[in-house]
Amino acid sequence: MAQETTRTTRRGLLDPERAAAILKVIPPNALDTQRRMGYFVEPRWKRLSEYEALTCYSQPTPDWIPGGLDWGDWTQKFHGGRPSWGNELTELRSSDWHKHRDPARRWHHPYVKNKSEEAGYTQRFLQGYSAEGQIRTMDPFWRDEMISKYWGAMIFNEYGMFNAHSSVVRDCLGDTIRSSATFAAFDKNDNAQMIQMERVFISKVLSGFPESTDEPKLVWTTDPVYRGARVLIEELWQGIQDFNEILWSTHCVYDPLFGQFVRREFFLRLAPFFGDSLTPFFINQTQTYFQTTRDAMSDLYLTTLCDDMQFSSLNRRFLRLWTDKWLSQTVTALKDFMGLYDKVPVIAGVTDEASVKEALTRVFSDWVHDYVDKIDGKVDTKKIIDLIMTGYK
Amino acid sequence: MALSAATTAATEALKVNRAPTGVNPQEVHRWMQSFNWDFAKNRTKYPTKYHMANDTKEQFKIIAKEYARMEAIKDERQFGTLLDGLSRLGAGNRMHPKWGETMKVASNFLEVGEYNAIAAAAMLWDSATASEQKNGYLAQVMDEIRHTHQCAFINHFYSKHYHDPAGHNDARRTRAIGPLWKGMKRVFADGFISGDAVECSVNLQLVGEACFTNPLIVAVTEWASANGDEITPSVFLSIETDELRHMANGYQTVVSIAHDPASSKYLNTDLNNAFWTQQKYFTPVLGMLFEYGSKYKVEPWVKTWNRWVYEDWGGIWIGRLGKFGVQSPPSLKDAKQDAYWAHHDLFLLAYALWPTGFFRLALPDEEEMQWFEANYPGWYDHYGKILNEWRALGCEDPSSKFIPIQWLEKNGHKVYVDRVSQVPFCPSLAKSTNTLRIHEYNNQLHSFSDDWGERMWLTEPERYECQSVFEQYAGREISEVVVEGHGVRADGKTLIGQPHVRGDKLWTVEDLRAAGCVFSDPLRN
Repeated sequence: MAQETTRTTRRGLLDPERAAAILKVIPPNALDTQRRMGYFVEPRWKRLSEYEALTCYSQPTPDWIPGGLDWGDWTQKFHGGRPSWGNELTELRSSDWHKHRDPARRWHHPYVKNKSEEAGYTQRFLQGYSAEGQIRTMDPFWRDEMISKYWGAMIFNEYGMFNAHSSVVRDCLGDTIRSSATFAAFDKNDNAQMIQMERVFISKVLSGFPESTDEPKLVWTTDPVYRGARVLIEELWQGIQDFNEILWSTHCVYDPLFGQFVRREFFLRLAPFFGDSLTPFFINQTQTYFQTTRDAMSDLYLTTLCDDMQFSSLNRRFLRLWTDKWLSQTVTALKDFMGLYDKVPVIAGVTDEASVKEALTRVFSDWVHDYVDKIDGKVDTKKIIDLIMTGYK
Repeated sequence: MALSAATTAATEALKVNRAPTGVNPQEVHRWMQSFNWDFAKNRTKYPTKYHMANDTKEQFKIIAKEYARMEAIKDERQFGTLLDGLSRLGAGNRMHPKWGETMKVASNFLEVGEYNAIAAAAMLWDSATASEQKNGYLAQVMDEIRHTHQCAFINHFYSKHYHDPAGHNDARRTRAIGPLWKGMKRVFADGFISGDAVECSVNLQLVGEACFTNPLIVAVTEWASANGDEITPSVFLSIETDELRHMANGYQTVVSIAHDPASSKYLNTDLNNAFWTQQKYFTPVLGMLFEYGSKYKVEPWVKTWNRWVYEDWGGIWIGRLGKFGVQSPPSLKDAKQDAYWAHHDLFLLAYALWPTGFFRLALPDEEEMQWFEANYPGWYDHYGKILNEWRALGCEDPSSKFIPIQWLEKNGHKVYVDRVSQVPFCPSLAKSTNTLRIHEYNNQLHSFSDDWGERMWLTEPERYECQSVFEQYAGREISEVVVEGHGVRADGKTLIGQPHVRGDKLWTVEDLRAAGCVFSDPLRN
């Protein structure tokens, strides 16, 4: 008698007869004692984390790309024969491209869970802010000139950095690198959207405030204040082939200097002086993302690649080379940005020359501590700050 | 403070709205298209012969925070079900063992597809010029990370609860041993990421996702449930909720190139190649996993294939794209023939090489054999007799020292690997459309099994150079290969792969070595 075939499926777990039949053929004892998925993965911490178990070695690279567990050639290549992934995709070398770990141990679920909570809180904050009419305390000049146009122009700065990650996410040679890079990119896209969200919000509570991106884009594309930044962002976006150079130049040179200065030392620092408690709410989310990304990039470059047992010296040389290359353009971007101080009133202890110098010193000091010292680099911070300050009128 | 009188006047005239006000995602998204700006160096690192339009829109219009909110809710439901309800029911060890083994392959191989789709969607994000289109591809990048982790979570869950964790716990390390792996990489890895960006999109979104995710991710849940597995439906159906957006991305990719009359020169050829590439592997492998990897059958694979691939995709989905000049692939009719027999052909070869698997395979029992014969008339005389002969020779019993690949060799049934698809085939036993053809190129022999793949290779041989398992392992004794590939359990002696799903009579490395089975390359012998 042939077994029945029916489109009304009996569920093997719930149908008593079938469930009993299944239980009969399940051996009473387990056939193996190893119940930890990915038990062969070297844990970074005391025990293999869920993040490591779910992420490590999902990339199916062959063993001629260090760390790979597969063998042989690619089964389909690009037109002309270029391989799917290869060691030539970067100048850096690693004895194991699967060694990087995100210190925040983010896999998809915790990542979106955190951002979802931020999304919910953002909407509740905005509702409370609007219900209180807090917008009334924001200085109109700050709101209409600085926030609408110049903070608005940062949409494109963040959006450009976001786009710089597309080829990184395509090309990078390890699964943990791929997720760290993607989350960094997603945060950058979020940052750009949050700036526009703030502008849309103001336009909803204050009729006449322009939500259009036309003016910010005009500032970004034509205003000398952002000229250096724009040229650099365009280069980061599509001018670099090497996925490591893109990540290093974006997250370890440009953003810790220009991004941190503009966000933290200009808009975040000045906002309270203009009665603006709205912009800091958004910027502080951005700053949280910045710090999480900083930790991930530090692990990738400083812990993993700079301390690689075989290629430490070579990798440090390249990171110093890339730092020099991108620092000079970043300095130009900051020098151009100094022009924005000309558009705001002098506030003692905040926007006067000495205070701006102090702000630059804070940013450069953080950067030297976080990156430069750790790649045995040398930077004449005073000279650089003096050069940047030539843009301060 | 430098505030103009005009600005002051205008500001004072504004009326503050004190109603609780938020910003919905659409109010932000509608500005996204303006986030781009023109600059001289703006070009992609992944050029395409197609021209993607600058004003292409995306259909789902989600921003980062809304994406996170949506996915977090789905995750809560899914992980809540798994980690609470299904765990307390002991559901992780209440599926039929045949199906528990199938999920070692299905979840891990799907994971590879999802993982490579991260890179594939990133390539499209790089290639697209429209901001909305980039945003759509970005959401897909994120989804593919989600799906990679979800597939892994199935193996993770099974590792903890299923009575045979071996293979679930180390699939990423042991999957490369066997003959099914390289073909899987062709369709689910390299086919998505190596080539013209739009050609890759056609492979991933227009064929892989719009066509084969229906049987792979949707139909599989019905088979799973029938065999006692409620883990897989909880996860795979959650995955499928994202796939709809990916199909829309594929649709929008076609929309973005449709304005260019030159597109029609390439699109149908690329679609035909992509369809043949994907079906060449999925048609036999999915059919084999469903029918031979289950005890309780849902329906014959040929019917599932006909409904999802031939009618739903080849007819309705491609029909919708007809206004853009897209036609059903000419290879569809050849594929339809393969849907009947190809998975039976493949099971013979997979079972013959069972020690190289990271899962246990079982011969169909008497009741199942009757089902095969009833649904595929003529099955028993061709396949059933061979399987029964292997059973009679003791293939399940380690004391027999008999591996079925030895029977194939002894009876002159050479097993080749198709260079383009990397799918193994045995021309003297195949009832599907496979026929052998061999070419010599660069002092190397290359075997092929069909016209469509052979044509791809003849056009661009440099794209398909990968060695087969038989070339790689030629001359090596099989237990040596298995040990080297970590195909051994935690006790250090019992094989992960087994030719049955019982709890006793497990083969060890010693048993396998005693069989004296040595790999040979059919192209050199």
